[in-house]
Amino acid sequence: MEFAEHIKTANVEDVVLRQPLQPPSRGTLCITGHHLLFSDREESDSRQVLLLLRNIDAIEKRMSGSSGTITMKCKDLRVLQLDIPGMEQCLNIAHSIETLSCLDCVSAMYPFFYRPVDLSLPEQWGLSSPEMHYSQMKELYEKWRLSTVNRDYSVCPSYPPAVIVPKSIDDDTLKKAAKFRQGGRFPVLCYYHKKNGMVIMRSSQPLLGANRKRCKEDELLLQAVIEGSDKGYIIDTRSMQQAQQARMTGGGFESKSFYDRWKRFHRQMERGKALQESLIKLVEACGDESNNMDRWLSKLENSKWLSHVQNALSTAGLLVECVERDGHSVLVHGSEGTDCSLLISTLAQLIMDPCCRTMEGFLGLLEREWIQARHPFQQRCAHSAYSHARLQQESPVFLLLLDCVWQLWRQFPLALGFSEALLLRLATEVYASDYGTFLCNSDQERCALEVKERTHCLFRALLRPTERDYYSNPLYERTELAIWPSVHPQSLQLWKGYFLRWTQQVRHLEEAQEEIRNMVIEWGKLARS
Amino acid sequence: MSTEIMEFAELIKTPRVDGVVLHRPFMPTVEGTLCLTGHHLILSSRQDNTEELWLLHSNIDSIEKRFVGSLGHITVKCKDLRVIQLEITGMEECLNIASSIEALSTLDLVSLMYPFFYRPMFEVIEDGWNSFLPQNAFKDLESMTDEWRLSEVNKDFSLCPSYPPLVAVPKDFDDETLKKVATFRHGGRFPVLSYYHKKNGMVMMRAGQPLTGTNGRRCKEDEKLINATLRPGKRGYIIDTRAINVAQQAKARGGGFELEANYPQWRRIHKAIERYNVLQESLIKLVEACNDQSHSMDRWLSKLEASNWQTNVKEILTTACLAAQCIDREGASVLVHGTEGTDSTLQVTSLAQIILDPGCRTVKGFQSLVEREWLQAGHPFQQRCAQSAFSNSKPRHEAPVFLLFLDCVWQILRQFPCSFEFNESFLVLLFEHAYASQFGTFLGNSAAERARLCLPEKTVSLWSWVNRPQELERLTNPLYEPNSLVIWPSVAPQSLLLWEGVFLRWNRSSKCLDEAYEEMVHIIEYNKELQTKVNSLRRQLAQLETEDPLLHTP
Repeated sequence: MEFAEHIKTANVEDVVLRQPLQPPSRGTLCITGHHLLFSDREESDSRQVLLLLRNIDAIEKRMSGSSGTITMKCKDLRVLQLDIPGMEQCLNIAHSIETLSCLDCVSAMYPFFYRPVDLSLPEQWGLSSPEMHYSQMKELYEKWRLSTVNRDYSVCPSYPPAVIVPKSIDDDTLKKAAKFRQGGRFPVLCYYHKKNGMVIMRSSQPLLGANRKRCKEDELLLQAVIEGSDKGYIIDTRSMQQAQQARMTGGGFESKSFYDRWKRFHRQMERGKALQESLIKLVEACGDESNNMDRWLSKLENSKWLSHVQNALSTAGLLVECVERDGHSVLVHGSEGTDCSLLISTLAQLIMDPCCRTMEGFLGLLEREWIQARHPFQQRCAHSAYSHARLQQESPVFLLLLDCVWQLWRQFPLALGFSEALLLRLATEVYASDYGTFLCNSDQERCALEVKERTHCLFRALLRPTERDYYSNPLYERTELAIWPSVHPQSLQLWKGYFLRWTQQVRHLEEAQEEIRNMVIEWGKLARS
Repeated sequence: MSTEIMEFAELIKTPRVDGVVLHRPFMPTVEGTLCLTGHHLILSSRQDNTEELWLLHSNIDSIEKRFVGSLGHITVKCKDLRVIQLEITGMEECLNIASSIEALSTLDLVSLMYPFFYRPMFEVIEDGWNSFLPQNAFKDLESMTDEWRLSEVNKDFSLCPSYPPLVAVPKDFDDETLKKVATFRHGGRFPVLSYYHKKNGMVMMRAGQPLTGTNGRRCKEDEKLINATLRPGKRGYIIDTRAINVAQQAKARGGGFELEANYPQWRRIHKAIERYNVLQESLIKLVEACNDQSHSMDRWLSKLEASNWQTNVKEILTTACLAAQCIDREGASVLVHGTEGTDSTLQVTSLAQIILDPGCRTVKGFQSLVEREWLQAGHPFQQRCAQSAFSNSKPRHEAPVFLLFLDCVWQILRQFPCSFEFNESFLVLLFEHAYASQFGTFLGNSAAERARLCLPEKTVSLWSWVNRPQELERLTNPLYEPNSLVIWPSVAPQSLLLWEGVFLRWNRSSKCLDEAYEEMVHIIEYNKELQTKVNSLRRQLAQLETEDPLLHTP
């Protein structure tokens, strides 16, 4: 195995492990191709820590005399420390962790090796497929069709093989429209609002360029979307200025003269590097151990993270307002249509559609909007807040989504079928996982690597009865109404469960929630017997 | 009483106006008749199923009036931080109403206040005025130690006007010595017992500052008194709630602190807890920030920071933790004081008890704590709570000292959601009643004033109302499980939250959160029911098994 060459010292005795919320323990450290394994020597109450090396974001080593200390900062924001006797051993271990934690080769990653005894590789990977989704949505049949124009990923490498488009538009038109959109991401249906038949479409930016090209087919496609209605809305997740600048690099936005029945809103949403830096600052603030209230509040403010949360929720609110209150269809896009567009279309669906608020519904929504519609997870989640590596494509867009969902959950504690624990689990899994769900950047890559044949699917695993019990919200009561979140600054809070997860006080809250959960489980058992 | 009613009548120029429109948070707009009585502003509509408004004048912090044509708008800002709007047609009516509200809400005379006129509509099961008598509290102490006695030296309030008639002092000190010590402490507040830590016999005392003055006066009796609480060979801690430079400056006005030379067995620690105006301004700024309607996240966080409220919460909690730590971890006795010993001192001693003593975390225990450490210990409620965050008049002695204490309790409650028998609603209720109430509990500034006003005879106690099953049910924490341990709250800035239940109560609907709370209560109750059922089935089964041994065979 290739991993062996990176492991010079596989075993060290007499290592001290320090981790948050627990007393230090002494034991044996073991490095394997994918894991760091620590087991203490207490015979009676033996404890083991199994850590995916992939979870390690940054390491620091410090030598003193003949021993060394390695501090490991994880992508789930935990910080662990190992005291290792012997300088050489310590250096070897540090080197192995450093190399193995950021191996680039996807097919060598742990999900391809993870074979739990109680799970066999699934016949069907994932919860659904565009085909199944379409076949279940009978309301769509009259005006919408499933197109397989992208069956070999040639029209748009980042789309799944099947997408839903207006019935009146044929595949040739789609091909031409795809040429006019960045990355070939032509407008496709992502949500159908049963109450009034309005839809949310998403795409990437149109490629107008400096000389304002137009594309009849793209216009036709959008025209077909609002057939029978007086107008539609376009929500561009960039500011007007940003959208105009994009023309210099070949991009742009839908001009009034060619799309006269579409009204455009610009809402500037932060993305890419700025978002990653915001996360880094926030995590730094949360780890600040000075006991100064002013400094904490300033740092929290400076990180701008909560502003991003507010911005995402209010843009999603705008989208819902267009569809639900104003009764018109909406097209969402920014530049590539793989980050902010997904963020707000997902949030909008959660706000509007009670079906998305059950656990299956939510995971299905994530699968449609993030896995199938291609959020480049591999790139975005390569590093988290501690990494010293130069930023490339990293950006915590998915984490921002989870934070926004948490805000919804906090404001509407009865309306969501899942609990904070699910959001925390997803936030951990997206950065380092036993499962293949968040591997790769697109469906196409996933097929090439046979992810669907060779790895387990997280979403399916989460829906097994035991797991489902654990992650469901004991207080859930379905409501058919839209859940309009308050986006007043005073209403939004730091997601302590995630960002301060490894501090003492959050544990007490967890205990209280645990207590309620146990009661509900107990209750269920009693009811059955 | 008839003369008093006359006086009210003079202030009410227009007792009744029809067609007044009322806007209040989270409730539909109501149109109806506005009535002013001596103590209430009432708005009732003829329609069914609309809730009437009954607002105590003493709850009104400030009013603003504005005219659009002949339509007057009166904005009423309450001490519980609610803001309501009245629309009144007719300029004269509006002006009359406004000036009446203004006059009635700022009446200074205590004996004219509503508690003296209020007659309970409920059956008093247990008279709250007798629920927490010092002699009963002392009985508990006697069961644990014989080193203390209850002194009547202050029975006519002459030695210390802000102390109750009975105080616990070391057994070996006679009243004559206490009299000497009292002359050496600010306001006569000689060191008295505030808390006895059963686990290790350590104590917490509180006092006013020593009157050392610039020439370092000393008082042998004072030294002896506090030394008597030390175990042989052990040191104690004096926690001064002022920064060292503030304590130094106090010398110039006759105050000061315990000098090492005269108190060699004591280690003094200075902690800076803000007081008076600074706290009042902090509250005003905080409430302004909370009501800010702009949508900017940066502005909100800056304003929250600039209010310094959370910093105040943190400083108080930190000092309370320090006191608790000295007692529980270091096994040392503690004396707490600031200047007068009626504000920050009480915050620290009462919070330390919540941390240390599980008894204070029950409903009754907490009431007893408020009674002992705030009401009888002489926190001047009348002065401190005369105005709240909206008042435009110049603050005199106002300061949200008690509100800060409640906020700190809320922070601990939030961090230990299963360790308190009461819930957040109880804390909010105490906040409301400290500022405006139909009950006499928070009237007056000291036990002496309360005795002079004959409050137990002439008014109803808040505890009489609270300690009835239907109220208790609403105020009890469904998650409570008695926890006999010391609970150490986290005081890291990241751990402290804004108390939404008070500060965002009227600008953010809590409907969904309330529903979730109710659902949780429901689950817990149903669970209890099922538990009982399971237990009785088990008992039946066990009985059947003993009666019929055949059942043993599967």
